[in-house]
Amino acid sequence: MHQFWLAVGFGLVTASVLAVAAVGLSLQFGITNYINFAYGDYMALGAYLSWEMNAGLLHWNIWLAMICGSLAMGVIAVLVNKLVLAPFARRFEKLFYILIVTFGLSLIILSILNSVWGAEVKHYTLKNQKPLHIGPFLLTIDQLIVAAVGLVLMVAIHLLLTRTPLGKSMRAMSDNTTLAMTSGIDTRRITTITWFLTGMLAGLAGTVLGITSASITPSFGETFLFVIFAAVIVGGVGSVYGAIAGAVIIGMATEVSAVFINASYKLDTAFAILILVLLFRPSGLFARAGKA
Amino acid sequence: MSPVIYYGFTLLFFFAAYSILGWGLNLQFGEAGILNFAYIGFVAIGAYITGVTSMGKPPQGSGETYMFAARLPFPIGLLLGGLASCLLAVLVAFIAFRRLRSDYLAMVLISVSLVMYDIINNYVPLFDGADGLNTVPMPFAGVLSLNANSFLVFFAVASVGIAGVMWLIISRITRSPLGRTFRAIRDDPDVISALGKSVFRYQLTAMLIGAFYAGIGGGLIIEFSSSFNTSAWLPPETFLIFAALIIGGLRNNVGVVAGAFVVPVLFTQLPKFLPDIPGHPGLILNLEGSVIGLLLIVTMWFRPQGIIPERPRRADQLIGTIRSRMRRGGEPAKVVAE
Repeated sequence: MHQFWLAVGFGLVTASVLAVAAVGLSLQFGITNYINFAYGDYMALGAYLSWEMNAGLLHWNIWLAMICGSLAMGVIAVLVNKLVLAPFARRFEKLFYILIVTFGLSLIILSILNSVWGAEVKHYTLKNQKPLHIGPFLLTIDQLIVAAVGLVLMVAIHLLLTRTPLGKSMRAMSDNTTLAMTSGIDTRRITTITWFLTGMLAGLAGTVLGITSASITPSFGETFLFVIFAAVIVGGVGSVYGAIAGAVIIGMATEVSAVFINASYKLDTAFAILILVLLFRPSGLFARAGKA
Repeated sequence: MSPVIYYGFTLLFFFAAYSILGWGLNLQFGEAGILNFAYIGFVAIGAYITGVTSMGKPPQGSGETYMFAARLPFPIGLLLGGLASCLLAVLVAFIAFRRLRSDYLAMVLISVSLVMYDIINNYVPLFDGADGLNTVPMPFAGVLSLNANSFLVFFAVASVGIAGVMWLIISRITRSPLGRTFRAIRDDPDVISALGKSVFRYQLTAMLIGAFYAGIGGGLIIEFSSSFNTSAWLPPETFLIFAALIIGGLRNNVGVVAGAFVVPVLFTQLPKFLPDIPGHPGLILNLEGSVIGLLLIVTMWFRPQGIIPERPRRADQLIGTIRSRMRRGGEPAKVVAE
């Protein structure tokens, strides 16, 4: 039982990492209506930018580095959209063009990461690595902060989507872009802001993934991608709340499964759940009409 | 013979192997419209099964561990690799082809290949984990008493022969009514199901044929290079074949050959033999991904039809006319009579 509660504690941390990543992917998918297959590489790039500020060029506190790295990643995501993705999305009606462009983008980013930072493992400079007993859980201060960051962000995004004009415009665009445009919403502006937000979330998710898994490599975002996809599909593609629910389910399931099976396969549990959902409820638990 | 000639035969081999891989993916994606981001997983299964069924039991003390060990003569192991890849296609199709939108399906498929990567890396008894298979015997080396150099020439030529046979088969399939149905499904699955065809069954068929090509291509690669491990098949490798298709000319088997020459041969195999930039070892190989990615994006923008575009086919145009008339509520029967 002790093992089980420990795993639940880790599950909370993994769920927050996953929730940040999955919400970012879902928000962007809702607005642009295509999946960004370079998302894992956005995460890795964000993680490296934070690493430069924390342990590379600069020696800032990890949380400050995380915020700056994420903001920089948001700017990069906006630029990539303006220069590459938006022109393709406007020009080609067929979905596969833009999907292959994002796939190509992932290759480009991966090769840049390999060229600039090399293939060897990088680590953040972390201070609070002593595990604490909190109730039945055993977590470090850093892990607690990661969980708190996840929680705060989820609440913030909920408030953004429900209480602000920006969030309402985003939801309107996600439901029906043409209708949103005709009712006076500046869809290009909303798209740009969304890319900034999701780039930021990707960078943040990459950094917290680097903190919790204690290592960064160029392909670590890409190999984590299927766990994010599992969370997003289990929750229902395009639904932000679905993504949060999916992240909690997948995060908990992967960590708790490590009690029963060899821990090297814990992420594969995510895939097993994905298959079950596909077999019995292919559109996800919180499906949205027209998105699946 | 000089190194340049061996090098030429190495390129010839990769040209043949990637043409086969390209035809398989072209059938799945170009003809049937399945965005198979897991393609390299099918190549890997073909390679592994061909490897283990021709290597025999791991030698004592070698530390290698793998399943399904057998020592079968040359074409049998290769065919088993192709069939194993087909088996994977059936599994994947039954899980993933449940009326998903194409990007949704692509997400599931890329997850399939990442999970396969994860499991084969971690579960060492299966295919020797991250070390991979390293002692795959050279086919016919014993019978024809070939050394490493003459084997290279022999196998490159043999692979071109195999590619020739695969070419005859794939061009027959593309021209046949089956190929026509694939293209019609790609263009509009709803109309095709209204005409009484099972979209699922046709997509499964396309997956099976494409997977067989992937498996054979993978098998040839492992027999040529005599080793294969997990680093050879992360998602970027799938992207390489997609890039070859799109740059060469999607939906055109000749275009695929052109693409196989430009992308995997010119841009991937050739730079491996370029000298390093002083002070930056490995930089050329690392930047190669960026170059191919950029090349693809630029091609898609300026010449989306590729080097050799898809040929318009009379029968397909007819189907198009029927389709547009059906959409308008007209009489499809008259068009056929014309």
